Amino acid sequence: MSSKTTFIGAVEIGTSKIVALVGEYTGREMAIIGCGECTSRGVIKGSVVDFRAATECTHTALELAERDAKERIGHVYLAQTGGHLEGFYNEASLNVKAADNMIEKDDIRTVCELAKAKDLPLGRMVVHNIRRPFRVDGRLVPTSPENLVGQKLEVGYWTVHGQEQRLADNIHVIRGFNLEVSELVLSSLASGHMVTSMEERQNGVLAIDIGAGTTDFVLYRNGAPHTTGVVAVGGGHFTNDLSIGLRLTEAQAEKLKLRFGRAVVQARDKSEKVWLDGNFSIGDRQFPRHAIEQITQARAWELLEVVKRKLGQAFAPETCAGGVVLTGGAAKLPAFAVCASKVFGTPARLGEAPSWINENLRDPGYHTALGILYYGVSAQGDRVAAARAKGGFLRNVSRLFAST
Amino acid sequence: MSKDAHGLPETRTWRDIPQQVRPRAMSHEGRRRLVMGAIRAAMGAVAVGAVAWGAFEMAAVLRENAAAMPDTAKSDRVRSLVLVTDGVLDKNWLARTLAIPGDATLMGLDLIKLRSKILGDAQVSFATVDRNFPDTLTVRISERSPVARLMAKSGADPARMLLVARDGVAFAGTGFDAAMVASLPWLDGVRLVRRGAAIAPIGGMAAVADLLASAKLEAESLYRTWQVVSLARLASDGEIDVYTRGGMRIVFGANENYLRQIARLDLLIDVSSDPTRPLREVNLALGAQVPVSYGTAAPTLAEPAPAPDIAAPARPSIALPAFSSFHIDTHREL
Repeated sequence: MSSKTTFIGAVEIGTSKIVALVGEYTGREMAIIGCGECTSRGVIKGSVVDFRAATECTHTALELAERDAKERIGHVYLAQTGGHLEGFYNEASLNVKAADNMIEKDDIRTVCELAKAKDLPLGRMVVHNIRRPFRVDGRLVPTSPENLVGQKLEVGYWTVHGQEQRLADNIHVIRGFNLEVSELVLSSLASGHMVTSMEERQNGVLAIDIGAGTTDFVLYRNGAPHTTGVVAVGGGHFTNDLSIGLRLTEAQAEKLKLRFGRAVVQARDKSEKVWLDGNFSIGDRQFPRHAIEQITQARAWELLEVVKRKLGQAFAPETCAGGVVLTGGAAKLPAFAVCASKVFGTPARLGEAPSWINENLRDPGYHTALGILYYGVSAQGDRVAAARAKGGFLRNVSRLFAST
Repeated sequence: MSKDAHGLPETRTWRDIPQQVRPRAMSHEGRRRLVMGAIRAAMGAVAVGAVAWGAFEMAAVLRENAAAMPDTAKSDRVRSLVLVTDGVLDKNWLARTLAIPGDATLMGLDLIKLRSKILGDAQVSFATVDRNFPDTLTVRISERSPVARLMAKSGADPARMLLVARDGVAFAGTGFDAAMVASLPWLDGVRLVRRGAAIAPIGGMAAVADLLASAKLEAESLYRTWQVVSLARLASDGEIDVYTRGGMRIVFGANENYLRQIARLDLLIDVSSDPTRPLREVNLALGAQVPVSYGTAAPTLAEPAPAPDIAAPARPSIALPAFSSFHIDTHREL
C-alpha cells in the first residue's frame, strides 16, 4: 500500500435507503473497495426528521462499508438533497485594469468575488457556488481568461443554498460516527456527472435523478453545470398515489408500482386486470392494469412538468442537444424516458454508469453515491495538485519578489 | 484583494457549521472510534517520544566516548596554600589565620568565609581566594603600610602597640622589621573609637602621612629626630604638632605646603645652630613669618608616654622647659 493511499467515504442519506461507499485512492487511480447499504429510517424527502433513527441507519451503512473494505474511512463526502435547497444566478462584470487590457489573476479573482457576494436570508447557507463560463467582451471563455486581452470581464455563479439546520443535521449524523465531512455535494451534480458524458455536457444535457423522496436535476451547458434544482417529489409519491387511488396499503401499492407501474400508458384493454399478489392467497385482489398505469403516468408527467417549469427559460430543446438523462431508483419505472422525451421535446434515455463500474453498483440507485466518490477523488487530486503548486523553492522565491 | 477591500458581504457557507460533536451525542461505534483514535494518538506520541529519547541517548553515548573522555575532576584534599602578597605577611600567618582542617577538600571550602577571616586582620586591605584544582588554595592580598604607631590600652589589658596606616586604620602589625617599627613616630592627641570588634579609622591620618612622607624623603635627618606627632589641634586649628627627641616643638600647618615648611625648618635649624640657645618651639603654620622660641638649657630627652587608654588616650609625656619667644622672617631666604 502506498503512503499516499487514502480511503474516502461517500455517503448518500436518501429517503428510501442510505448508501455508503469506500474508495481507495492511490493518487493515480481509485478503486471502490467497500459498499454498505441500509434501509433508511427517519428521513423524509431528503431531510432528517428523526435524528436517532437516521443516525443508526447511516452508521450501520458506514460500518458495513468499512467491514466490506476492511479499512477505516478517513473522511466523508456527503450527498445533499432536499426541498430546502434553492438556487439563484448572480453575475458580475469588471473593467480590466491593465493598460494593455490583458486580464490578470487579480481581475479574475475580483470579478469572481463580486459575483459570489450576495446576502442570503437569515438561516440560509451556501452549499455550492457553480461558476458559469467567463465572458470577455461578450466572448465565451470556458476556461480561465488569464492573459486574454479584453476590456470587460464577466462571470456568473449559480449559487445553491440551503437551510442551516437541515444542513447541520446531515453533518451531525456523520460526525456521530466520528468522521469529518470534507465536502457537501449536491446529489444532482454527483449523479449527473456519472450518467452523462463530457460531450453531452458540452452540447447541453439535462440529468434528472428521481429518488424516493426528491427529484434532483442539473442542466449542463458548455461543459459545466448551468442550473440545478430539487423538487420534493419522488418515487414515494407514485406509491402514495396508487395507495390512495386503489385503496391499498403503502406496501401493497409499492408492490403494484414495481410490477405494473409505467410512465406511459401501454395497456390497450381497459378491462385487463392484474392480481395484487398472484399467489392465490387469501386477500389477494385484482386491479385494472390501465388504472395503475394511468395513475403512475399522471404522476410521472406531472413530476417532469414541474422540473421543466422550474428550469424555465434555462431549458430549451435547441440548447440541450444531449437530451434528458434519467437516473435514480424511481427512474427504473418503465417508459419514464419516453415520458421525459414527450415532456421536454428532446431525446431521453435512462442513464447508465460508466463501464468500469462493478456490475453490483450499476443500478441507478447507486449513481449518486458513485458520483460523490468520483467528486471526492477529483477534490483529492485537486488538493494534491494545489499542495504541489504551493510548494517549490523557486515558486516561493518568485512569490516573495512579486509581493514586494 | 479581499472581500473587505470591496466592502462585499460575507456569505456564510456550510463550512461555518461547527463539526464538533460531544462524545455523548455519538453512537457506540463513533465513541469507539474516538477512543481508538485517542489511543492511537497517544501511542503515536509515546512512540515518537521514545524514538526521540532513544536518539538523544544514542547521541549522548556517541558524543561521550568513554575511552576518550577524561574523568570528571574530583575534589582532593587541600595540600598546599599559596600566598601572593605585596607586604610582609607570610604563609605561616596565612595558615594560622585560615585554620583549615587537615581533611578539608578544596570544593568543601567556603571561600567567602575564608576571605572574611583574612580581612579580619586589619593589616590586610584587599584579598582574593581562589581554588586551583586539584589541591591548591591561592590567596592574593594587599597589605597596609604603617606610617606611625601608637600605644593602646583597653580596660585591664596591658597596653599594646598598634601601627597606623595612611588610611587611619590601626593594626597589630605582623612581620614588620623591628628597626623600621622603632623608627616610626608615635601618635598623640587621638581618640580611638570602637567600631564592632575593630577600631574605627583615625581621622586626619592622610595629612599626617603626607607630612611624614615629605619629611622622610626631603629631610630624613630631621625626620629621624621626630618622636611624637600630635593630632590634638589638627581638627580644630589645622595644625600638626611634632615633638623631637631634643624636646623641640614644631608646629606644621596642615593646609600649608609641607615641603616649604620643612625647608624653612631646615633653614631655621641651620641658622640657629648655637648650642647655648637651642630652639624650643618653631611655628611653621603662619607662612613666611615663623615664630621661634629659644631655650636656655639643653633639652631633656623624654620617652613617649606609656600606652594610652583606648577610651581616653594620654599624650606622650614630653618635658617642655620654659622658653622665650622670637619671630624670624624667613621670607627673603626662601
